[in-house]
Amino acid sequence: MPVLEVNRLRKSFGDVRAVEEISFSVEPGEIFTIIGPNGAGKTTTLEMIEGLLPPDSGDIRFGSLTWVKDEDRIKREIGVQPQSSALFDLLTVQENLELFATFYPHARPAAEVMDMISLTDQRNKHVKKLSGGQKQRLAIGLAMINDPKIIFLDEPTTGLDPQARRNIWDIVLKLKQIGKTTILTTHYMEEAEKLSDRVCIVDQGKIVTLDTPAALIDRLTKEREVRLSFLDGATAAAETEQAARQNAAVVRTELEGASLKLWTTKPEETLYDLFGFTKDKGYRVEQISIREMSLEDVFIAFTGKEWRD
Amino acid sequence: MAAKQFASMFAAQVKMMFRDKQTWFWSVFFPVILMILFMIIFGGGGSGNFKATIAVADPSPNASSAMLLEQLKSIPVLEVKDEQPVSIEQGKEWVENEDVDALIVLPGQEGVSDVGLYVNRANEAGATTQAVSSILNTLVQQANLSAVGATATYSVSMESITSAADDVKYQDFLLTGMIGLSVAQGGLFGMVEIVDMRKRGLLKRMRMTPAKMGLFGLAGMFVRLMLGIIQIVCLALVGVFAFGATLHINVFSLLIAFIVGALVFSAMGYLFSSFSKTMEAYMGMANIASMLMMFLSGVFFPVNTLPDWLQIVPKLLPLTYFVDGMRDGLIYANGILSSTFWMGIGIMSIWGIVCYLIASVVYKSKSIAATR
Repeated sequence: MPVLEVNRLRKSFGDVRAVEEISFSVEPGEIFTIIGPNGAGKTTTLEMIEGLLPPDSGDIRFGSLTWVKDEDRIKREIGVQPQSSALFDLLTVQENLELFATFYPHARPAAEVMDMISLTDQRNKHVKKLSGGQKQRLAIGLAMINDPKIIFLDEPTTGLDPQARRNIWDIVLKLKQIGKTTILTTHYMEEAEKLSDRVCIVDQGKIVTLDTPAALIDRLTKEREVRLSFLDGATAAAETEQAARQNAAVVRTELEGASLKLWTTKPEETLYDLFGFTKDKGYRVEQISIREMSLEDVFIAFTGKEWRD
Repeated sequence: MAAKQFASMFAAQVKMMFRDKQTWFWSVFFPVILMILFMIIFGGGGSGNFKATIAVADPSPNASSAMLLEQLKSIPVLEVKDEQPVSIEQGKEWVENEDVDALIVLPGQEGVSDVGLYVNRANEAGATTQAVSSILNTLVQQANLSAVGATATYSVSMESITSAADDVKYQDFLLTGMIGLSVAQGGLFGMVEIVDMRKRGLLKRMRMTPAKMGLFGLAGMFVRLMLGIIQIVCLALVGVFAFGATLHINVFSLLIAFIVGALVFSAMGYLFSSFSKTMEAYMGMANIASMLMMFLSGVFFPVNTLPDWLQIVPKLLPLTYFVDGMRDGLIYANGILSSTFWMGIGIMSIWGIVCYLIASVVYKSKSIAATR
C-alpha cells in the first residue's frame, strides 16, 4: 500500500496556474525524486503535500490520513527539510535538535541523529559558524528528529561542493537502508540518477514522465551514439564510414575530418565488425567512445528544454 | 507536554537573546549611554541648581551700598567674583569676556540713586540675565520699602508639593523617563524577530511540526519581560549611584505599568511586523514611532515645556502614560490608588488592543501567503 497518494492536484495563484494536474503515489522505502525546470511547480506541489498550501482541488493521502482530519498525526509522521535551511543561528547544533525534539511527543535522541548526520564533533558549535554543507546536514537532521516515516528533502544539495554533496547522498542512502521513504527534489541529474528508485519529471505544472531512471533512459531511444577517431586521417575515417554503412544495425553516420560518428542499435556487434575492418586495413584507431545516455537526455527529450545546473 | 515545550522554547529564546550582541547594545548599553549624556548636559553636573556669577562695583562706598553688597553676598545662587567689589572698568571687561554673567554697580550715594546692571548683549534675553535682574529688582524694592519705613502688604510664600518624601530632581525625572523609553523600545523594536523568522523560513519550518506557535510567542514575551527587568535594574543602578537619583518604589504600580506597557509596545511592534515584508521596512516604522514618541512624551523634558498647540499630542501617545506610570511606580511611590494612573493604563491598553486587532486582521487576510 502506498505511503503517499497524490491525486489530481491543482493550484493557481491568480492567473498563474502553478500546478495543473499532478497525480502519483509513493511506495514505502523508496526514494522518489521530482525534477523539473525552475517554475515547473515542484515547490508548490511539495508545499501542498507538506500541508503548507491548501490545493485548489485534488487530494493528498498519507495512507488513510488526510490534512483536513489528521493534521497533527501527519505532522508527526513526516519530516521536512525546506529549501531555505531555516535553522536557529544562535543556537548550537545540539540545541537546535533538542528544541525541535520537544515539538513532538516521541523523538529520537539528539545524539543518535547527530551521529547519522556526522555532526557529533560540531554539536556545540553555533549554527552560524557551520559550513553550508553542515547546515544542510543539520536541516536534514531536524527532519529526522521525530523518526518520521516519510522525509521530504527539497533541493538538499543545491549550492554545495562535490564533497559536501556526496556526504548528503550518504545520508539519503542511510535513510533508505533503515526503511524510510524519501521524497526528493533536485537540480542535479547525476544525483537523481544515482539516488532515485523512481523519477518524476514535472514541467509547466504537469507530470511529463515518471519511471525508474534506467527505464526512462531505455525508453528514450534504442540507438547509441559511437565515436571513432583515426590516427591515419580523413581517408581512414571515410573508408570506415563506407564499411559501417554495410552494417545492418547502423542507422546513421556522420563524418567530420578524421573522426566518425555513427548511431547503432547494437553497439557491440557494430564495433566488432568495424574493428575487423580496421585491423585488415591496418588503420590505427586513436579514440573510441560510446556516449552514455543520461537523465539529462531524457529531460531534454521530454521537455524540449536545455538543462541548467 | 505543553509545559515541557514551553520550557524548552523559553530556554532557547533566552539563549538566543543572551548570545545576540545587538540586543545588549541597543537594549542596555545604548540607553545607559544616552542617559549619561543627558544627565551630564542637562543635569548641571549633579547638583541641578541654578547659579550665576556676578561682579560688583562700588565706585563710592556708603551705607546703602554696603548693605546691598552684604545682601547680594548672602544670596546662595549668586557667586560674587573675587568676593569683593572691583572697579567698573574691570567689571565691564569681565562682562564682555563673559567671565561673569552680570556686573552690578552699587549706588553712589545714600538716598535717591541708581543701581546699575550690566550684562553682555549676547545674553540679554537669557534665563540667567532674567534671573539676576529679578533678584536685583526684589532687593532694590525691599530696600525702597525699608527706606520709607513700610512693610510689604503682599508676599509670595512658596512651597513645592510632591507626595514623595523629597523633591523630584531632574536626575529622577530623566532616569525614569529613560527606563520607560527603553522598555517601550524593547517592544517596538523586538518584534522584528517575527519578520526575521519569516524571512528565513523559520515560521514556515515550525508550522510543519506540531509545535504550538502560540506557546512560542508567549515564551518570547516572557523573555522580553526579563530583558525589561534587566534594563530597569541597569539604568536604575547607573542613575542612582552615578548621578544621585533617588527612587521611592511602589512595587504594585511599577509591576502593573511595566507589564501593561511591555505588552502594549510589543503589540505595536506586532502591528509593524504585519505590514513589513523586510526587516528594513520594519525598522523604518519602528524608528519613526519611537522618535516621535521619544520627544513628545515627556521622556527627557516635562510635557508642559512643549508649545501650546503641541500639548494635545502627548495626551494621545501611549509612551506619555507609560513613562508617567513608571514615574508613579519609581519616584512618586503612588499610582494604584490614583485615578490618573488607571486612566493612563486604560489609554495604553486601548492602544495595545487596537494594534493587536489590526495586526491580527492583516495577518489573517494574508493568511498562509504571509509566511511564504
